[in-house]
Amino acid sequence: MIIAENLTRTYDMGKVIVHALRGVSLTIQKGEFIGIMGASGSGKSTLLHLLGLLDKPTKGRITLAGVDVKTLNDRQRTRFRLKRLGYVFQDYALVPELTVEENVYLTSMIRGTSKEEYQAQTYSILERIGLSDRLNHKHNELSGGQQQRVAIARAMVNKPEILFADEPCANLDSESSRNVLDLFKQINKEMAQTIVMVSHEDWHTEYFDRVIILRDGLIISDGKKSD
Amino acid sequence: MLLDLRVSFFLAIRGILRGSRGSLYLTILIIAMVFTNMIFMPSIILGFIKVAEDQIITYQTGNILISPHEDEAYIEDAFALQEKINRIPGVLRASVHYSTGVTLRYKGNTLGSNLVAINPDDERLVTDVYQKMSDGYYLADGENDEIIIGIQTSGHKDESLDMGATLGYLKAGDPVTVEYTNGISKVYHVKGIIETGSYYADQGAYITWDELESVYGRDMDLATDMIVRTDPDAYEPDVKTQIYRFGIREKVQTWQDLLEEAMGRAVQNFAMLNSITIIVSLIIAVVVLFIVIMIKTLNSRRQIGVLKALGVEKNIIIHNYVFQVLIMTTLGVIVGTTLVESMVAILTVYPFQFPDGEVTPVVAISDLINNTIMLYIVAFIAGYIPAWRVASEDILTAMRS
Repeated sequence: MIIAENLTRTYDMGKVIVHALRGVSLTIQKGEFIGIMGASGSGKSTLLHLLGLLDKPTKGRITLAGVDVKTLNDRQRTRFRLKRLGYVFQDYALVPELTVEENVYLTSMIRGTSKEEYQAQTYSILERIGLSDRLNHKHNELSGGQQQRVAIARAMVNKPEILFADEPCANLDSESSRNVLDLFKQINKEMAQTIVMVSHEDWHTEYFDRVIILRDGLIISDGKKSD
Repeated sequence: MLLDLRVSFFLAIRGILRGSRGSLYLTILIIAMVFTNMIFMPSIILGFIKVAEDQIITYQTGNILISPHEDEAYIEDAFALQEKINRIPGVLRASVHYSTGVTLRYKGNTLGSNLVAINPDDERLVTDVYQKMSDGYYLADGENDEIIIGIQTSGHKDESLDMGATLGYLKAGDPVTVEYTNGISKVYHVKGIIETGSYYADQGAYITWDELESVYGRDMDLATDMIVRTDPDAYEPDVKTQIYRFGIREKVQTWQDLLEEAMGRAVQNFAMLNSITIIVSLIIAVVVLFIVIMIKTLNSRRQIGVLKALGVEKNIIIHNYVFQVLIMTTLGVIVGTTLVESMVAILTVYPFQFPDGEVTPVVAISDLINNTIMLYIVAFIAGYIPAWRVASEDILTAMRS
C-alpha cells in the first residue's frame, strides 16, 4: 500500500540546514493502523506530510497504492489526494462558514458525486459517528471532540485508500481522545481502513497495530505491538 | 471546469452569508457609493448639456439656423427663401430674423442691446418664447410701436437677480426709448417682459417686422438669420442635407453644430472632469476590494492550506474569492443604482437652480452599462490578485500560518 525508500528531507533555513529526515524506509500494508511516534523534532510530522503528498522529499522515493508519486505533477498530486487519501488534522480544520453536513460533503462535491449520493453518504457517515442530529450545526456549536469526529467523517466520506491523521487528539481531553481513537479503531477494523497516525502520547499505542518510532530523523523502532 | 466553478460559487455564497455581516454591509455600501459617484457626476453634466440643448432649440435657434453666406452680411430675398424652406419635407416652419444693435434708454439708464425684428405668427411656431412672458403679452403680427424685452435687459425688481447692467426694473406698460444706428430715436410701449431662463433670449429685445419696415421706411427683404423648427420625428442632419439639396447657398447649421461650436470646449472639459471622477472612483473600488479580499484570504491562510491538502484545487479557491467580490459588486451596483435613481427622482421634483435654468440629472443607460462593466473588471482584478497570492503558497506554509 505504502512503500517509502530512503526518504530524506532537509530544510534550508539560510545559515542552518535542518535534516528533518535522514533516510527513512518503510512499507505499510493495506488495513494496518500505524502509529508514528517520537519526541518533538524527531521528524514524525515530516514523514506523515511526505507520505500524504503534502510535501516532497529531498531524496528518496514513495510509492502509494502502486503509484510512484514522483511521476505526478502538482495537479495530479492534488487529484490523488482528493480521490485516494484522507486527512485529519490536529486542530480539526473545519471550514468555519460551512455547516457540519457541508464540511463533510465538500470533497465529494468536488469529485463530481451527485447531490443525492453525497447527501446520503454524508448522512450515513455522520449517523455512524453519532452526529446525524448535528447536520446543520456550525463548527463553533460543537465540542472539540465532536469537531474532530466531523473531521474524521470528512476524511472518510470518499472512502480513501489511506487515512492520515496528524496528532488528532492533541487538542482533546482524554475522554474525547479515547472516543476519537475508538472511532479510528472501529473504522480500521470494520472497513479494513489503512490509517497512518502521528502521536506523542504513549497510551495511544494500545490502539495501533504497529508503532514506528523516530528519533533525529531516523527510525529507531518499527514493530508490531506484540513484538 | 463547470463543476469547479459550481464549487467555487457554493463556497462564495456560504462565505458571504456566514462571514462577517458588518464587513459585508460596509463593502457593499462603499461599492454603492463609488458607483453612485461614477454615475451621478456625468448625470449632472448630461443634465447641464440637456438644458443647453433645450434652450438652444426652444428659445434661440430652433432645430436649424440658416445664416448668411460667409461673404455676405445678409440673407437676400429672405421671404422667398422662407417659403422655399417651409416646403422642404421635415420642416415645420421657418422664421425670419433681422437683428440690429440699438441703444435703449429708460429713466436715465442707458443700455446697448440687440433688437430682433420678427414675424410673431411665424415665431410662435418656431420658438416657445411667447409662452415665457413674465409680465404683459407677446407681440402680434402687424403691431407698431410695441416692444418686448428680456428680463436680463429690463432688470428684476430684486437687483441681485440681474446678471449684468439693466434698464432698472422696466415693466409692461412702461415707455422705453430705442435709438437706432441710422439716427432714428423712437419711444416704444413695452408690451411684455420675457423670462425664459436662457440668457441669450432674456437679453434681447423684439419688435415686429412691420415696425422694422416703418423705422427703415421701406420694405425689408433682408434677414440676418432664419431659424427653422423641424418635425419632431425628423432627424436634423437629414433636414440640413435636404435644405442644401434645394440649392440654398446660405450657411445651414443644426443645433448640434451650434452646441458643438458654443459648448464644445466646455463639453470636453466636462468629459475630462468626468473621466477623472471615474478613475478616482475605480481606484477607491480597487483599493477597498483588494484590502477586503486580502484580509479575508490572510485570515483564511490556514484554511486555504487545509483545503488544498484535502485536494481542493487552487483555482477553486481563487474563484471562490473572485465570486465573493463579484457578488458584493453586484449588490453594490444594485444599491448604487437605487441610490442614483432615488436622487434623480428627488432632483426631478426639486431640480438644481442655475442661472441658465433648472438642471435635473440625466442618467444615460450607456453610462450605467459602461460603468458597471468597468466596476466588474476592477472588482475581478482586485479579488483575483490577493486570492491568487495566498492560494499559490505551498500547502505546509499556508497550514503553519
